[in-house]
Formats: sequence, C-alpha cells, structure tokens
Amino acid sequence: MRIPILKLYDYLLVSIQWELDDATALGFQEDLLQKIHDTSANGVVIDLTSIDFIDSFIAKVLGDVLSMSKLMGAKVVITGIQPAVAITLIELGISLEGVMTALDLEKGLEKLQQELGE
Amino acid sequence: MNQVVFTFITQNRDYILEEWMNLMKENADERLINVISNEMFVQTSAEYIDLIISNTRRNNEEFTYKLSEFAEKAVRLGWPLSFLIEGIHKFTLCVINGMVLKGQVTKDNQMEIIYDLDKWTSPMKQEIISTYTQTWEGTVSLQKIALQELSAPLIPVMEGITIMPLIGTIDTERAKQIMENLLTGAVKQRSEVVLIDITGVPVVDTMVAHHIIQAAEAVRLVGAKCMICGIRPEIAQTIVSLGINLNEIVTKNSLKKGIDAALELTNRKIAKVEE
Repeated sequence: MRIPILKLYDYLLVSIQWELDDATALGFQEDLLQKIHDTSANGVVIDLTSIDFIDSFIAKVLGDVLSMSKLMGAKVVITGIQPAVAITLIELGISLEGVMTALDLEKGLEKLQQELGE
Repeated sequence: MNQVVFTFITQNRDYILEEWMNLMKENADERLINVISNEMFVQTSAEYIDLIISNTRRNNEEFTYKLSEFAEKAVRLGWPLSFLIEGIHKFTLCVINGMVLKGQVTKDNQMEIIYDLDKWTSPMKQEIISTYTQTWEGTVSLQKIALQELSAPLIPVMEGITIMPLIGTIDTERAKQIMENLLTGAVKQRSEVVLIDITGVPVVDTMVAHHIIQAAEAVRLVGAKCMICGIRPEIAQTIVSLGINLNEIVTKNSLKKGIDAALELTNRKIAKVEE
C-alpha cells in the first residue's frame, strides 16, 4: 500500500490515513524524496489527523524524512497530531525538535506560506 | 435477648438517656460538644439511643436503614467514630448500673446479663463501624471527583488564545490530567497559543518542572505554542538552582505579560476605542 502524495502549486500534500507499518513508512520516505526531486517543491505538509498511534520507529522515520527533505530544500510542516499521539511521543522521549507543527492542514499551509515569505 | 434486660431497657428509656448524656458530656472532647448546640446534642443523642434500642426488636433491615441515615448525620455533625463506639459502651454501662440500682442484678444472673449485653452490642458495633466508614468513604470519593473537576480547567479568552490557570500542588496524577485537558482543549478550540499560568502553584520542583516541560512540548506537537506565565521570583530561583532547563519554552512573569506576548504572536493588539 503506497501513500498518495499530491502536488498543490509549490507544495506537496501528504495525508496519512491509516496506521503505518515499517515497510510502508520506508516506502513513503523514498516516494516523498523522489517526488520532491521531481517537482522541486518548496514545502511539504504531512497531515496525521487520522492517525491515533505512532510507535518509536515511525517517529524516527518521520524525523528522518523531515531532515532529508530539509536537505533537499523543502520545508516540512506536520499537522493534526492527535492529543493522544502527542502524549505518547512525549512519553517515548521523542519531541521532534525543530519541526514545525500546525493544528490542521489549513493552518499548516498558512505557516508554510509565512515561512517561505510568500 | 434476655427478657429482664429487654424490659428494663424499654421501660427506663428516659432514665438511660439522661444518664448516658451526662456520662458522654463528662468524657467528651470540649470541641465536640461546642460545635453543635445543646438542643441539637440532646436531640441527636435521643435519636442515637432510640436507634440502639430499636435494635432490640430484632428488625434488622429497618435498623440497617436507620443506621446508615444516622451515620450520614454523624459524619455531617463531625462526630467521630470513637464517639459513637464509646456511646455504645457507655450505654451498656448505664443499663448495668441502672439494673444494679434497681436490684435486678443478682449474684446468680450477673454474668448472664453481661454476656447477653455483650452479645447484643458486638454486632451493633461492627455494623456502626462499617456504615460509618462507608459513609465517610462516600464523602471522600465525592470530594475527589470535585477536586478532579477543579483541577485543570482550560479557558478560551480570545480566538486562538487559551489559558490554563493552575492552582495548588501538582502530582503525577494531576499532571497527567493537565496534559490531557491541555491537548484536547487546545485541539478542540483550535488555539494558536496556550498559556499555562502557574501563579497558584506553591512549589516547583524537578518533577513539576518536568511535567510542565512535557506538557509544553506536547502542545507544540499538536501545532500550538505554549507559554508559561506567573513565574514568581522564588520559583525562578528554585528552577535555576535545581538546574532545570526551561530555555526552550517562553516564560513570562505575569499572565498580563503572557497575554500581551500571545497577542503579538497572533498579530493582534488591544486598542483603546476613540470617543
């Protein structure tokens, strides 16, 4: 199962709709980087609204994706982290430092626009 | 129940009551008597003695019902359990004394009477203890619920700005609740900035600071900004001398300053209306 990555103007939108297993997560990492390369997007929004559980491996992959995208010149905003997920992440000691977060997709796009100065 | 004792108790109810009250007043704590008026004391005592006497009629269900009602009352009046137990003890004493005075206790039947009274009062004592503790436990659990309701309110003050005022000591259980309320509230109210006001928190030690830092980080993950306001001088001192790192979190010394900063973050300001 691959995660769809949509292009919207200069940005890429990813909405993760189901729980990620390890293989899907790694596949997603490759796909996203390839897509950033193909479209030369400036920003990525990853929406986690429908996810209610994240384990430490997925969190690590997400963190990696973030720093990789940054290397490729795309800013990433993570949106819609559920309260329960936030609590689990903090309790696991993963605070996703330096990552931009926003309440929902709308706010995330606004934030990207602000960051990219458009 | 021994017929002699039974008739004595039912016939001399008033005498026993009077004796009993005198005895109890002699021994009772000053404080205990002073909290309620004299009439109230007499009335409640009479009720208690009636309750004990009603148990002689062996109607157990009615007794249990009445007892639970009375226990509630006793808890409300602040009568301690020891007072009630002492009451039964003194009641037995009154009965025996009264019977001795009336010459109803002879050498032959004295042991029998005492055993009989004991057999009668022991289960009653048990019943009183269990009912009293149950009532007390009920009160405690009600208070616990009330405390929980008060423990972590999240107040929206403006669009995108919410405040959580914390008052009182924070323990692990409460910290958990604070975190949950904070996050669900922030998401539900679509807050951009969340202010945690710790003016009312008396002590900030490493544990409390740890919980607050965790909460602030979790708030960041759900996409809002977290600020801590109301840091008093002594709290600033303890935080630094304990070596707690709060550098990642914006802190302000008062809620007012916090709100100013929050307005600035959301690109707003409060302006005076020109008349």
